[in-house]
Amino acid sequence: MSDQADIFDRGAVRRHRERAASTVGGVVPILEDVADRLLDRLADTTRRFSAALDLGGRGVIASRLRAAGIPTVAMDLSLGMAALSGAPSLVADEEMLPFGPDSFDLVVANLSLHWVNDLPGALIQLRRAMKPEGLLLASLPLLGTLDELRRAVTETETELRGGISPRISPFPDLRDCAGLLQRAGFTLPVADAEDIDLLYANPLALLRDLQAAGERNAIRERSLFVPPRALFPAALMSLPVTAEGRVIIRLRLGIMTGWAPPAA
Amino acid sequence: MSDTKGEDADEVPASDAAPPQQAVDPRLLEILVCPLTKQPLVYDRTRNELISRAAGLAYPIRGGIPIMLPDEARPLDA
Repeated sequence: MSDQADIFDRGAVRRHRERAASTVGGVVPILEDVADRLLDRLADTTRRFSAALDLGGRGVIASRLRAAGIPTVAMDLSLGMAALSGAPSLVADEEMLPFGPDSFDLVVANLSLHWVNDLPGALIQLRRAMKPEGLLLASLPLLGTLDELRRAVTETETELRGGISPRISPFPDLRDCAGLLQRAGFTLPVADAEDIDLLYANPLALLRDLQAAGERNAIRERSLFVPPRALFPAALMSLPVTAEGRVIIRLRLGIMTGWAPPAA
Repeated sequence: MSDTKGEDADEVPASDAAPPQQAVDPRLLEILVCPLTKQPLVYDRTRNELISRAAGLAYPIRGGIPIMLPDEARPLDA
């Protein structure tokens, strides 16, 4: 389903995730931190869940849900990533879900919806795969994430070659998130944000971590030319540092919850 | 982190002809439909594929993991 109007190159997203399946272990602490914040929301409900879908959990979500006694199916766009979650798992595309109605009473999408072109469409498909009064729990990076890096790269690239190319994903705004759930037919939609500051002694390690997690640039209109050799080193050197000489990188984490409507 | 082979890997019979095929989890067979048509699928045990007659596609299963991507599916003979 490739459409030239799509922002993201899904084939690239898939390749990046496939390559990252063997390196994602290096960023497990960050993924686990976010997973714990997201799954904390399950503690707020007295509901018992019996059929969960882990959407793109990169090995950290399915294991937690199963440990909590919730039978869980894990899905990823890449085979290597799907295999990390253990059985039962499958490979599928968030934009073309392969689930029948009433399949799940819980869907958890941890940092996995921000490379989806048609987010409203994906949410509608998810809602249709859910049982009445099932819970959707999603985290995604919001506008504000990697802002320092975005600014540094834009300024440096303008200086180096007098133009810019989109290198960092456009993230959704918190204000749009609850409305997105509502339009997809979820009830009681809630969206809030938490800021997570990541400290890097060596800014190059930030780029390594993003690649290790499969978060390389998959914007369709990305420049396919190799960037000027000096671009990333120069941009990284211009990032603001703390008194201890560390670079602060902000992850503005959006957490969304919504419920599938009750049976008619 | 789970072993990708799963717990029942020992039960897969050794075969001289074909590489060992890991059976697909029955829970998946209950919920999966064709991503294009949303119609039911038929599990072909011998070829280890999930068949969508409506779409004319056979989705492969690798190591017990169904690949539900039309790009990766085998077109059925007309």
